[in-house]
Amino acid sequence: MMQTGDPTLVLVGWLLHATLQMGTPLVLTALGGMFSERSGVVNIGLEGMMLIGAFSAVAVTYFTGNPWIGVLGAVVAGGLLALVHAVVCVKYKGNHIVSGTGIIFLASGLTTLLLQVIWGAKGYSDTVTQLPRIRIEAIRDVPVIGLAFGELSPIIYMMFVMVAVSWYVMYKTPFGLRVRAAGEDPATLDAAGVNVENIRTVAVVISGCLAGLGGAYLSIGFEAAFGKLMTSGRGFIALAALIFGNWTPLGCLAAGLFFGFLNGLQYALPIVPGLEWLQAYNNFIKMVPYLLVIVALAGIRRSVPPKAIGVPYEKEGRG
Amino acid sequence: MSVDSTVDDDRSEHVTADMQDRAPSESEKGPVLLLRNIVGLMVESVRRVTEPEVQRAVGWAVGAVVLAVLTGATLMSMAGYNAGLAYIALVYGAATQVDRVLFYATPLVLTGLSVALAFKCGLFNIGAEGQLYVGSIAATVLGYMFALPIIVHPLACLLFAMLVGGLWALVPGVLKAYRGAHEVVTTMMLSYVAILLTQWMVSRNGPFFEPGQVQPSPQTPLILPSAYLPKLGSPFLHAGLLIAVGAVIVVDYVINGTVLGYEMRAVGLNREAAEYAGINAKKNMAIALTLSGVLAGLAGGTEILGYHHRFRDGWSGGLGWDGITVAVLGNNNPWGVLFGALFFGALKAGGTSMQRVAGVPIEMVSVIEGLIVLFVAAPKLVDWLARSGVQYAVWFREQRPQALPHLMTTTVSLVLGAVGLVIAFTSSTGTIMAFLFMTGAFLALVAFFRLVTLQSDGITLALFASIEWLLGAGTAAATGLVSMAATTSATGLFLLVVALLSLRLERTGVLSSGNGGVP
Repeated sequence: MMQTGDPTLVLVGWLLHATLQMGTPLVLTALGGMFSERSGVVNIGLEGMMLIGAFSAVAVTYFTGNPWIGVLGAVVAGGLLALVHAVVCVKYKGNHIVSGTGIIFLASGLTTLLLQVIWGAKGYSDTVTQLPRIRIEAIRDVPVIGLAFGELSPIIYMMFVMVAVSWYVMYKTPFGLRVRAAGEDPATLDAAGVNVENIRTVAVVISGCLAGLGGAYLSIGFEAAFGKLMTSGRGFIALAALIFGNWTPLGCLAAGLFFGFLNGLQYALPIVPGLEWLQAYNNFIKMVPYLLVIVALAGIRRSVPPKAIGVPYEKEGRG
Repeated sequence: MSVDSTVDDDRSEHVTADMQDRAPSESEKGPVLLLRNIVGLMVESVRRVTEPEVQRAVGWAVGAVVLAVLTGATLMSMAGYNAGLAYIALVYGAATQVDRVLFYATPLVLTGLSVALAFKCGLFNIGAEGQLYVGSIAATVLGYMFALPIIVHPLACLLFAMLVGGLWALVPGVLKAYRGAHEVVTTMMLSYVAILLTQWMVSRNGPFFEPGQVQPSPQTPLILPSAYLPKLGSPFLHAGLLIAVGAVIVVDYVINGTVLGYEMRAVGLNREAAEYAGINAKKNMAIALTLSGVLAGLAGGTEILGYHHRFRDGWSGGLGWDGITVAVLGNNNPWGVLFGALFFGALKAGGTSMQRVAGVPIEMVSVIEGLIVLFVAAPKLVDWLARSGVQYAVWFREQRPQALPHLMTTTVSLVLGAVGLVIAFTSSTGTIMAFLFMTGAFLALVAFFRLVTLQSDGITLALFASIEWLLGAGTAAATGLVSMAATTSATGLFLLVVALLSLRLERTGVLSSGNGGVP
């Protein structure tokens, strides 16, 4: 892993690598949030969906021995938890924020409970097989590129694919058009003969699947075990990335990777000679994503949420 | 739209009438009037319990709690715990440690009020946690850095905590009011900023670090004893409880007895209509969030002065988040918040006994909390369940005694569904028996819901469930579990018989199943 050479180049390579590593779960979860919020359902439960994904990935890998089935388990678990959110918000017209809070409580309680049921441990699960990383031998010796892209988790590549697919689905397919219409003008969509509730439910479930995948990256892509509450607020940073990225796939990619870069920076900067003092102010670097979102929302950089977001759609009276 | 405006007209007329009633006594100004108003409001709150609207809210809350407790029991059984013992331990633990219940409830009352007050103005303060952190560090710093006389010292600390908490919430309030920045996002983000900021403040590099400490998590020095809140005859219970109860009365008065509260509620109900009536919505929203922050800061201050006596990184463990649950359960009514906080205080206090006696991890409390929030969030679900229950009862009264087999099928389906899940998860996973009981239980539960809503396919589903159940009993017998095979085959057979009977009754037209048989 470690390479010799110009320390600056090593640092740049390492930062690129860290950006991808830290940014991937954020981008995936933010993409998920995009589907939900573009369809008109606020999803602050992303944190919980990520957490249950991270847990399920490890649990399924532990019992089956195959991390790929673990990834599948994470996607399913995230989707199922999102289905609960969808049922409460879409079918029973519950308050989206309250439901999201409930999802977070449920996920954090359930994963910590099952952590003890399965492994009896307080903090960490047993180590499981990590998702095998993809090594590209051809570029491993190239100075910056080799360190940055030489050995990456397959979920990182999946993340890029997901961004492209999301962009295509959102802007080039009838389903994407319907999702966007459900979030902007559900009454018109309804008048066009499309079931708004179904579209929203599917969109929310997709958001849970993607958040679950993001969680799986944390537990079996980046690490090889589940730690109590291991997402530690990443779901909220993903929400921040979603807003900072203006609810678009490419925006989510850019904002997610940027926040990932900031995350890598707080480890990288104190190593640079002359900047050791920054170590003491790590927390201030961590604050940047949160503050940026507040600045973005305050209107210095326009963020326009979908029009009908957070509003349950009530069909007009039927005969 | 027309519905909205009529509701609003009603409200404003009602409130104006209220204000006119009180107008004559306006001359006898001062504390007497204030006291009379407050007492009047308390009497009014008690009287309102008889109103259908309030009873509905209470019904939703109780229904949600019951559903959450039942779901929690299923989850516990699935995880291999004794749910009955766990709940008995929980109730016993809470009933025998009232001081702990009140101790846990104290900060929840205040954070719950914080969330509820903002909600009255149509705002969601999801960042009470952060306001609580900045408030508590403010109280701590004033508590250990400055020597002041007793009584003055805690009061000064609390005021400072309220001030800082309020300022922290003023930012999202102003951003919401004047820039349209959504408060859910801004308060949440500022909450994380507050946690990171206070963490740095008490860390080795921060200004309030306790030198020479050996604690693993960073903390400040202890506050001076002059700043302590007095204890109320228990190692836990402190005067913060009285402050919290006082806050309930004050918030109730502000919301329901002042012009400010009236304007805030008007903005919360319908912003456009309130602005049309000449109310400055922006100013009210900023004030509401600020007051919300003041309450959260007070919660942090009382906890530090009353119990922790120092700021330790991560001390709160989600009190601000719990405030959302409490407010939701209390339907954003100050007195409802008080009951909600007591309920969660009991859950937390009983949770430790549950862990000790039944071995269920304390996190189960968090699971139940999440379930309650989800069920309260979906009042229409509780309504629907209640309605179908009532519908079923009415239908049963019309039909009996022909409907008796149907009722038995329904009940047995529910019981077998729950028991089947327990068997499936306690027996070794991956076996055929576990699979049969799992699918059987699932079928039985679906059958129950179809039966209770009087769908005719419920009976067929129950039939399939009973066959699965009998097959499961067969595998149990094959693996030598004699007693289990005997009981499961008996219950399965019973379900088969009652389901067949009700099917026959329905086919012959003796039993008219509500939606199924008759269109």
